[in-house]
This record gives sequence, C-alpha cells and structure tokens, in this order.
Amino acid sequence: MFKSTVALLALSSVLALSACGNSSNGTNNGTNNAASGSGVIQDGTSKMLEQIKQLQDVIAKQDADGVKELGKTINDTWLSYENTVRQTFPLEYTDVEKYEMPIFSASAYDKIDFAALAQNAQGLIDALTTLQNAKPSTASSSELLLEAVKKYEQYVVDQTDKLTAQTQVFVDAVKAGDIDAAKAEYVKARVFYESIEPIAESFGDLDPKIDARLADVDDPSAWTGFHEIEKALWVDNSLAGQAAFADQLIADVKALQAEVGKLTLEPKTVVAGAMELLNEAATSKITGEEELYSHIDLVDLAANVDGSKTVYLSIIPALNENNNELADKLDSAFQSMEQLLAGYVKEGQYVLYTELTTEQIREISDQLGTLSDLMSQTAAIL
Amino acid sequence: MESRPGMSRKEFLKLSAAAGAGLALGASGLGAIVEMTKLSGSAAPSSPSSADPKDGIVPFYDKHQAGIVTPQQTYLYLAAFRVTTQSKSDLILMLKDWTKFCDLSAAGGTMKLSDSALVPPTDTGETLDLPPARLTVTFGFGPSFFGNGAFGLSKLTPRHLQDIPRMPRDNLDSSISGGDICAQVCADDQQVAFHAVRNLIRLSTGKASLKWMQEGFASGTPGKTPRNLFGFKDGTANQLHDSPAGYDQVVWAGSDEPEWMQGGSYLAYRKIQMKIESWDRTSLADQEATFGRKKVSGAAFGVSGEFDTFDAAKLPTDSHVRLAKQTGQLIHRRAYSYTDKVDPRTGNVDAGLLFISYQRNPDQQFLPMLRLMQSSDALNSYVAHVGSAMFACPAGLSAGRYIGQSILEA
Repeated sequence: MFKSTVALLALSSVLALSACGNSSNGTNNGTNNAASGSGVIQDGTSKMLEQIKQLQDVIAKQDADGVKELGKTINDTWLSYENTVRQTFPLEYTDVEKYEMPIFSASAYDKIDFAALAQNAQGLIDALTTLQNAKPSTASSSELLLEAVKKYEQYVVDQTDKLTAQTQVFVDAVKAGDIDAAKAEYVKARVFYESIEPIAESFGDLDPKIDARLADVDDPSAWTGFHEIEKALWVDNSLAGQAAFADQLIADVKALQAEVGKLTLEPKTVVAGAMELLNEAATSKITGEEELYSHIDLVDLAANVDGSKTVYLSIIPALNENNNELADKLDSAFQSMEQLLAGYVKEGQYVLYTELTTEQIREISDQLGTLSDLMSQTAAIL
Repeated sequence: MESRPGMSRKEFLKLSAAAGAGLALGASGLGAIVEMTKLSGSAAPSSPSSADPKDGIVPFYDKHQAGIVTPQQTYLYLAAFRVTTQSKSDLILMLKDWTKFCDLSAAGGTMKLSDSALVPPTDTGETLDLPPARLTVTFGFGPSFFGNGAFGLSKLTPRHLQDIPRMPRDNLDSSISGGDICAQVCADDQQVAFHAVRNLIRLSTGKASLKWMQEGFASGTPGKTPRNLFGFKDGTANQLHDSPAGYDQVVWAGSDEPEWMQGGSYLAYRKIQMKIESWDRTSLADQEATFGRKKVSGAAFGVSGEFDTFDAAKLPTDSHVRLAKQTGQLIHRRAYSYTDKVDPRTGNVDAGLLFISYQRNPDQQFLPMLRLMQSSDALNSYVAHVGSAMFACPAGLSAGRYIGQSILEA
C-alpha cells in the first residue's frame, strides 16, 4: 500500500511539472459534429425514452424476463448512437452511461434487484431528458475538462459518504457479534473503498490503517482495518475482541471522509489514479491476494474497473478533442470488461475467486491488460 | 503538415523521421511507431541487408526466414501465442507492429522511447547500449491458427501441418504445447533475445495472449557442434545437408505446398525433460552405447571422426543414432538446452532439451523418426517428452510486407 501511495504521489508531481499545452493543434471535433449529430441524437433519445417507459412497466410487474429483454434492447439503441453523443455532449454522455450500464448489466444477471433497477431507470430518464435539451457547449476543452474534474471530485465525495455509511453498518454488525450480517455488510463496504482506492492512498497513513493486508504491515500486532476483521470473520470465525478494531475502522474512515471533503484534484492526478486502479486490479486482485480470507476479489476488481471507468468518462471532452480513436477503443474495452465480469455474477453476487478456473482468471487478466494498455495512453492528451 | 488518414500529426512526424527498410507499412494502432535511435557500427539503417554480417546483423528480410539455417546463436526464447481477437484487421495490425519491431531490432535499433513523459515508453529500453547480437525472430503458424473460423484460412493449411500425433511414452502438458503463432527468438546475447520476445508480447496486447514460453541456451565453439546436457554433440548430421541444394532437399517446402509456404519450413518442437541425475550415475560405456557415439569425439561406433561416414549396423540396436539413421531421413536440428526449477520431492533439477527441427515434410522426415525413437530408443530411460508443437513457418519477407501477409491476404 505504501508503495503504491509513493508511486501515485511521485507520478502526480512529474505530471504537474510537465505542463503541455496542446489545444492549439488538432481540431475541435465536438463542435464540428454537433449540427450533423443532433438529428441522430434526438431520434435515438426519444426511442430510448419510450423503451425505458416499457422497462418501468416490467419493473413494476417484477417481470425478470421482460427486464432482461428490454435491458438488451435499450443497450442496442444506446450503442447505435452513443458515439455521436460522446462527441457532441461529453458531459451529458457521462450521465447517461452511468445509469445505462447497470441496466444492461442487470440483463446478464440471474437475479434482478428491482429496487436498484427502478432507481437507475429514473436516473436514466432524467439524464436523457437533460440530453434532449442540451446545447452544444461553447466552453473550451480545458474548461470542459475542469468541469469534468469537478464532477469526478463529487463522485469521490459521494463514494466516500457511501463508504462511511456502509462501514458504519458493518462495524455495528461486528460489534453486535453477528458474523453472518457482518460478512454480508463487509462485501458492500469494500465496493466503495475499492472504487476510489488511489484517492484514499494519497492520504498517506489512512490507507494502511484502513486497508492493509497482514503481509503489508511491519508489525503484525499493530495490524488494523478491513482485512483484520475479514480474517476474524472468515478464518477465526469469531468476533471476540473485534469491537476495538471496529471502532478504529469507522474512526479512520470518518477521518478519510473529512480529508476527501477538502480535496481539490488536478486532471493529471485523476488520470494517474485511473491507471493506478487498473494496476491494482491487475496485480493484487487478479491474484486473489487482496481478499485472502473472504475471496471476494472479483468484487474489488469490478470496483477498481468501475472507478477507472468513471475517470475515463470524466476525461472524454479532452479525449474527443485529442484522440478520438483512443476514446472509441477505451469505450469498447470497458464494455468487453463489464460484460466479461457480468458473466461471473450468480444470485446477485460475484462468485468467489476460488471458484474461478485458471483459464477464467487469465481471460480477465488479458482483458485488464488491454484496458490498462489503452488507459496508459490517456495522459498524453492532458 | 498534412496528416495521413488514421494517423495523428505527431505520429506522422515520427514516421517520416523514421529509418529502417520496412517501415512503409500502414499506420499502427498504438505506440508501435518506430525510429532508429542508435546504429550499429557504420551499417546504414535504411538497408540492413547490405550490412556486413560481422556487425552481428542477420537480415530480417530475405528469401527464407532467418533463424532456420542461420548458424545457431547462443540463446533462445520460444514463445507461443493464442490469437484472442476475432478481428482480422486487428490481427493484421499486430503482425505489422511485430514486423516493424523485428526489422528494427534485427538491425540494432530500438523503438523510440516516447514523445511524452506522461505515457509509458514505447520501447522497454534494455537493449539501448547493446549490439544486434545476430538477433533473429522466426515466425510460424500452428494448426489451430488455420482452424480458427474467424479468419477463414482453412483452405490455406499447408499439406503437412498437424499437431504431432500421440507417440508412445508421451507425457505431454497441454499448457506448454501447441499454439496459434510461434516466435522463435535467437541471439548471442540473452538480454537482446529477451528484449525482443518481451516487446512482441507487449505489442500483442488485446490481440493475442502468450500461451507458453521457453528459454534455452546452446554453447559451442564456433564451427563445432554444440553439446546437449548429456554431454553429447547434438546436430552432427546437419553437416550432411549443409549446402543450398541440401537445404532445398531437407528444409525448404517445395512447389507442392500453398504458395505462401513455398520456401518456408515446418518447425517441429518437443520439450524433452532429461533425467540428468540418473544419467550422471550411468557409466561412460553405457552412456556411449545409449547414443551409439563416443562422448568426447562425437564419432559413431566403428569410426574415429565426428563426421566420418559410418555403418549404422555396427551401433547398438536401440542406440539413438542408429535409430535416427534407420529411417533414412534427414532433418535440420536446431535444439537448445534448458534448465528450470528443482523438484522439491527429489531434489532433481528440471533440465533438458528444447528439441527443434526444421524439415520440408514432417510426415516423411520427422514423424516416423520420432515414433521409432519413442518406442525403441535406449535414451527413453533418461528422457520424458513433456511439450509438443508443430508450426508452419512461411517463406521469407521482402521489405514493405508484413509477417503472415501471404496467408492473410492470399
């Protein structure tokens, strides 16, 4: 953990030193395509809105087959014009993508969470309505980028708030001595941490206190955090003596929340963080080292990918202007990754790492490699 | 400056500044734009084929692929890839990137590190101060490559390409056997060889996946036959066909093959584990009887020189060399030794031979020989075949064309 922290900080300082203005060469594709794309966008959006109305009906009826079918239909409609949207309305695109992807993913799951789906459907309607009324931005790409970074900051704050709330539920279960409940809440809390891990790691001492693995610490008797309790839950099968660790964990998470509230990010730090997330996934998650006792590494891995995708969505305005082709490739690489991972959801949960075959792990690893390779090129646009 | 379609201005600038004979290929996907950043001796980078071989440059472009009848270099990496992309154009992009990289590396160049400190260096950099070291990269395509429905190449399968059929005493591990595409990377400097295979792997990201990789070495005084880990000379019989006419008879595929394969060759590979600990406890007389040759001189039983003509009937009936002779066939051997881990149960070292041979017709030249050996060879007490593959290596490339183009655009 310390190692990655140092790497992130070191990279950020290098990034900050090498200011490289590039808005002068290259054309603003976004603006050029706005006029020609608007008809396509209006048509596609109307069609999607109709399909989501149908989706809301089948959600209300708790019709799983209907949800699956419409999830795919909606995704097909979105794929038919999303590139145009990404070109013209990058910020609005991000919002649609945020709600559309979970709806599509749900179509691959064997168990549907209707409540979550209903929320996403409403979110998607709002995002599409905003898109319908959007005017091509006259802002320069650097202004767009700053706006995107603001949005990403908000995402980090949201995730940290959710992390804090969920960690509270988790530690309450630990302190109540309820092993089964604690195990279930542990999995939920991990998602929020793993989606913003590099940010947490930038606050030097907090990450090791919250997220260190036994192998990471100098003094095993001073080990605290999620994984200490994970071991008690899955290996010792006893919560005796864990109340103090639970108190420490929620205190550290709240300290993190306070730090995140004061955070201002640079575009370059954000991009470096996205790379860091994929590296984390490709090293400690893909090997099953992160969740050594609970084996929920796929949960963490998916959260790393999701956090990284949020960054990608944020920097689309700059990608549009500088390297359109890279945006297309990243888009399709994230889709392949998400579809691959969706195949490992059983009963609404990711399967355990220990249930994966070597070939399955390798397939995920190769896909992560492709994604990282592309993501490593994004910093060139800043 | 006007940019070319599909290529950013920056990329175009890099390309136009680039040297190397084969760089006039189409735009590549990512980061594979290459540039000479160093030259070896006075060799002109734009025409590596005219360079003095003393500079350690083996031309990448030639009538036949390099690394087949090229005098054996000291180090080998043999890598097999599975093609993971379903897209023919992506596959072609990868092969173009590989071609540019090999062209450049064989000439002693490296890819340009980077224009920007914000992105990873294009080249990994460990050969920046090293000579070309007679680097060769030889590509071959396996039966599964032609069987892949996504590319529709089954009609182009060469006549003798197949996975080596089951043999007596096979102990094969499928995870280190077969593969869609192989790259045989050889050099006199191990770091130069590894650099090449490492960058081929990098450039394959998203398009192919490394299935297995083996590392080997072969040390011999120049002009003398190298010895294997049993201490015996390996490849003495290569001398029998060491002439252009001999290679045509033994190595190069002829006009009965698809056009792309004519002038190419079949690579047969077996990873053969050697039980060196038992071997080392075997008497010299028994060791020599096992091979049918003298250990020090390499001479067959009944003669005094390594290359002397001998009467196979005078060799022990189950000896390795007698059985090899018995089929009346020649193959071009290009084997390397390997060493690996310790077996924690026995303390024995996993070591052996990466047997590689090239031949124009494995059905006739190689498979009968292999079958005879695996059923009768006295060496069988000391060896186990654990890996296996066969690849069809196309004819050589001319500058401007890419690896596999003659198959993919046939």
